[in-house]
This record gives sequence, C-alpha cells and structure tokens, in this order.
Amino acid sequence: MNLWQQLDKLDRRWVFLLVWIAAVIPLIVPATFKISISPEGKSLFEAVDRLPDSSTVILTFDIWPNALAETEPMERAALHHLFRKNMYVITVANIPLGGPSVAERVTRELAAQYGKTYGVDYVNLGYKPGYVSVLRGMGTSIEGIFPTDNSGTPLSELPLMQRVKNYEQVDFIFVVADNATVDYWVSIVNAQFRKPVGAGVTAVMAPKQFAYVGSGQLVGLLGGMKGAAEYEKLVGKSGLATTGMGMQSLVHFLLIALIVVGNVGYIVTRQVARTRERKVKA
Amino acid sequence: MKTTVPLIIAFLAGLAMVLSFFSGPGVPVVRDISAEFLIWSSIIGGFSFLLGVVSITRVNWRKVAARQHGWGYNLVTVISVFVMGLPALIPAGWLPEGMTSLAGRNAGSVYDWLFVNIMTPMSQTMFAILAFYIASAAYRAFRTRSTEATLLLLTASLVMLWRVPMGEALLNTITPALPDFINTYIMNGVNLSVQRGIIIGAALGAATMSLRIILGIERTYMGKG
Amino acid sequence: MSGWEIFQIWLMAFLTLAIFSFLYRDNPLFKFVEHMYAGLSTGYYLGLYYDTVIKQRLWMPLSEQGEWWLIVPGLLGFLMFARLSTRYSWLARLGLAFVMGTTSGVYLLSELHGNVLGQMVGTMSPQRVQGMVNWWLTAIVVVGLITTLIYFYFSKEHRGVLGGTARVGIWFIMVSFGAHFGYTVMGRVSLLIGRVYFLWNDWIGTMR
Repeated sequence: MNLWQQLDKLDRRWVFLLVWIAAVIPLIVPATFKISISPEGKSLFEAVDRLPDSSTVILTFDIWPNALAETEPMERAALHHLFRKNMYVITVANIPLGGPSVAERVTRELAAQYGKTYGVDYVNLGYKPGYVSVLRGMGTSIEGIFPTDNSGTPLSELPLMQRVKNYEQVDFIFVVADNATVDYWVSIVNAQFRKPVGAGVTAVMAPKQFAYVGSGQLVGLLGGMKGAAEYEKLVGKSGLATTGMGMQSLVHFLLIALIVVGNVGYIVTRQVARTRERKVKA
Repeated sequence: MKTTVPLIIAFLAGLAMVLSFFSGPGVPVVRDISAEFLIWSSIIGGFSFLLGVVSITRVNWRKVAARQHGWGYNLVTVISVFVMGLPALIPAGWLPEGMTSLAGRNAGSVYDWLFVNIMTPMSQTMFAILAFYIASAAYRAFRTRSTEATLLLLTASLVMLWRVPMGEALLNTITPALPDFINTYIMNGVNLSVQRGIIIGAALGAATMSLRIILGIERTYMGKG
Repeated sequence: MSGWEIFQIWLMAFLTLAIFSFLYRDNPLFKFVEHMYAGLSTGYYLGLYYDTVIKQRLWMPLSEQGEWWLIVPGLLGFLMFARLSTRYSWLARLGLAFVMGTTSGVYLLSELHGNVLGQMVGTMSPQRVQGMVNWWLTAIVVVGLITTLIYFYFSKEHRGVLGGTARVGIWFIMVSFGAHFGYTVMGRVSLLIGRVYFLWNDWIGTMR
C-alpha cells in the first residue's frame, strides 16, 4: 500500500484532531485581521443608519439556540446600532425553541447599557406559533396576535405598544434568522405591506438570500459569522464574530488543504490503477 | 362527514385569506374575519405542537413500560420532559413565598435556568460536531470525478477562501480584483440566478399545492380513514 | 466569579464535552445526554405552548376579556388530541383543515406575489454594481435563471436544444451549490468556534 492509499484509508479521527488543533491555535496565538465589508453588509448598515433617530424597528429573534455563535453577534451588533440611534425596538421570535429566551437575555443586557426602559423603548413580544399566520396577522393587529408580551404583560399596559398597532407604525424590519422565516418576512411583509426588510442569516442560508438582495426585496444581508463581524466593525463594537475570524480562517485553510491532499491522492491512485489495467490488457 | 366537513373548513378558511388579500383595508368585514381566522390558526397550531409533546412522551413511556432494549435512556427522556416542563406549568402562587420566581418562564425561573445552562450548550455542541464531519467529508468524498464535480469543488474552495480574512488576503495577492469578482459574478451572478430559479420553481409548486388544498383536491394531510 | 457561576460553567463544559465524546466513538454518556436533550426540548415546548397559547392566547381572552368566540379554535385545537385515538382520530382533521386552509390561503398569494413576481421583476431589471448597470452580470443572471428552470423542467425529455440548455443549467447549478457548500462549511465551523471559545475562555478561564 503506497502513501496515497494509506492516506485515503486514514481514520477520520485524525482529521477531527487536525480540526481541533486548527481551531485552538488562534486562541493560543491571537492575531487581529482586517475585516473587509461586503456590499450587502454595507447596504444593510446604511439602510438602518439612514432611518431617522427614534424610528420604530422590529428586530426578529427567529433563531434556535444551536446557531447562536453566528446569530447572537448579529443581534448584539444590531441592538448596539438601534439603541445608539435611540430607536424603539420591538423584538419578536418565530421560533419556539430559543428565540424568546435569547431575546429576553440579550435585549435586556444591551438595553441596560444604553439606559433604555422596558415597555417604553423596547418590548419583547415573544413567540406565537404559526409564523405565516403571525406575520400576516401582525399586519392587521399586533395585539391580536400577541395579546401579551413575552412575560405575560398585556400590550395595552406597555406605552410603546399603545402607539404601534401594526406594520403601519413600523419603519424597518431587521430579521435575524437561522431558518426559512426570512423568506416569509420577504414574501409576506415586504411584498404585501411594503416594509423595508434587511436580514442577518446563518452562512448556510446566505447564498439563497442573494436572490432577494438582487431583486431589492432585502435591503442588505449579513451572511454567517463573517457577516456578523462586518456589522460589528461597522458599529464599532467587536465581539465573538470578530474574534472568531482567526479560527475561521485557519479551519478553512485546513479544509482546503484536506481537499487538495484528498484529490491528489485520488488522481495518483486513479493513474496507478489505469497504468496497471493497461499493463494487464497488454 | 369525516372528509366533507374538513374540506369545507379548509375551503372557507383559505377563501377568507384570498379575499382579504384582494380586498385589502377597503372591506373591513373581510379584513376582520381574516385577522380573526389567523388568530384561530395560531391557537390551533399551538395545540398541534402540544399533541407532539404528548406523542413523544407516550412513545418513550411505552418503551419504558415494556422494558425494551435501552429503556433506561427513554426514561431519561420522560423525566427530562417533566423536569423542564412542569416548573413552567406550576402557578407561582403554589410555591412558598420567596420561591415564586422559580415558576413560569421568565429570567430566574427553573425553566429559564435549564434552557440557558443545559439546553443551549447541548444544542450548540450537537451542531458544532458537524464541523468535524464536514471536514472528514471534504477529505474523503470531495473528488474531481467529473466537470460538474470540479466546478463545485473549485467554487467551494474559492468561496471558503473569500469568506475569511486570511483567505481574502491570499486572493488579493493573486489579484486584487478576485474578491470582487467572486462577490459580483459568482455570488450575485451565477449563484443568484440559480437560487432565483429554485425560489421561483418552489414558489410555483407551493402555490399550486395551496390551491389544491383550498379546492379540496389535495387531501393527504388528512391521513387515512 | 461566584461558586454558583463556576458550577454553571462547569456544568455547561461537562455537557459540551459529553457530546463531543461522540467524535471518538458512540458511548453511554453521549446517549444519556442525547436523550436528556430530547426530553428537555419536549419539556420546553410543553412550557412554552401552555403559557403562550393555552394561557395567554386562549384562557386569558376568554375569561378576562369575554372573547367567547375563542371557544371555537379552543375546541378545534383540543380535538387535535383525538389523533391519539384510533376511533375518533378523524376529529383531529377539523382543526388541521382550518390551519391548512388559512396557511394555504396566505401561501397561495404570498408565494406568487412575493416570490414569483418579486424575483421576475428582479430579473427583468438590469443588474447593477455600485449603482452602475452591468450588462455582463445581467446576461449571466438571465441565462442562469432560464437554464436552471429548464434543468428542473422534467415534463419533456432532456434532448436536443433542451438537453444542451439543461447541461448549461447544471454547470450553473454546480457553481451555486459549490458556493453553498463553501458557506455551509463556514457556518459549521462558526458553531465549532462558539464552543471552542466557550471551553477556552469560560471553562479553562475558571481554572486560571
């Protein structure tokens, strides 16, 4: 068995070990990287930045807990931007597992930093099942769909929600999602209620969303941890996404090296097999 | 009765939504009915999730009761359902004074503590494991077997480089126009057109299916019987 | 850092490592936490739906605001449990049909209006890069869209012109899927980064 054949049969746990090493090295030897801003990230930031101060924004927490490494930095960066501009923030979750709790934790933490008051400057609507019904229904009456906020306080007791009755009083929708709900914010809320929508999505979902950015149905896009790092840079608040770029870089390099090694092995082994075949035939 | 009534319900509910789309705010009755129907739908949808909860618990409990192979693990699942769910169900008033905040779902409750400290790290790790398997798959299965596979492999490698700072720096050293090229022509060109094709195709399929459901042609969602 | 906080971090680290142990091989510890996760998730739904649907959406408006008509969805929802019985399982169809009907009604038009029309309008307008019309890009988008749609058109055999166009379509699709794969790798690695960062900074941090 030659070297390439041996490499082909390598126990996958060695590959796992290499991934571990590549992920840990940047923590032992930290380095800073220049983060470039994509046109899609920039246009989302500019769309939010162009909104007059004290506008009302819906920020979604359509997220499961598993992809928090990608989505939480986006939520944090977005909240920094929104609270800094004194926007009124309404958070909503269309995902049962995670979204409402994460919204509660992250929003309260950042609101405290900016001295914002619950009920006046921001509200967490929480979750209600059936996102198609929820998104469509909020266009007529938010209170109809969410009679209370996430903690059970009736919306009529929250000053912000006395003013915001439906999408009419909302100026922008900042969707952070790790699933298909973003498609419905586009196809229901943007298309039928003409509200500008911008999105931060996980990397897995990002390629699809380029189609919506291209058609103008999304004003901008943040894709995965790199997208989160872009927004962190734009708002000047570096966090996990910025720190993670070193690890991300090294693991990507490792993966490309693995693809190259795997393919060189494949080509060499195929060549050897063909030569042997020719010899047998001859 | 078993089929006709559900079909009529689906038709009327669907019709209300379609009419409200075309009538807009101009016909308040239609708007109000459709708004109320959406609330109803959300409520019924919630019950269907609760049915799922009961179903999962029942399946696991049956395995425990029958002492099937690995029943101990099923018992862990059943116990976990109640450990997590019950604290959210118990009214705060039932607890002694000073412990009322442990009930419900708010910050400080047992439910929230379990979610933050147990479920979140577990959920994140379950998905983090995929990074290792994707690396292994890239090494073992990502081969230049055909033109199509080579196109896929080359694009994947370029995008992987482009999306990280070190990779982007490397691409810049080859030619500074390369990162822009990837963004403009691969992501916003080729990728955008294909995703657009998939979106349009899927949307036409979904719209057709919706129409079939409203008109009662599509009935598989009702199950047998 | 208080002892309680340290306990929480160690608990999270233990669970993280227990799941990562699967990378070496399947083992009882992994199975234990896997089943615990399934149970806790189910319990989470139990608490959430009881609170947000039964209590907030149904019971409170019924009992406090006198919205008696909510008895109808309440009943239809309750009938969903008939699914557990063999004899009366058909009753669950009533609620299900209502949800399917409303969802289909919304879908029918949102898909056509929001997705099909929206995307077609996007294709018919020239593509722009930094505000300037880019005809090369416009051509790529139009050709890519048409060939992709043709590739997925299965009502006629892919031969002749149709076959040639579909072949171009598959090249476009492969490039897009490659981009998708690249992004997927990025996503999965990001999730690993989150956990590695936690173990390194928070957990090992408690030992420093």
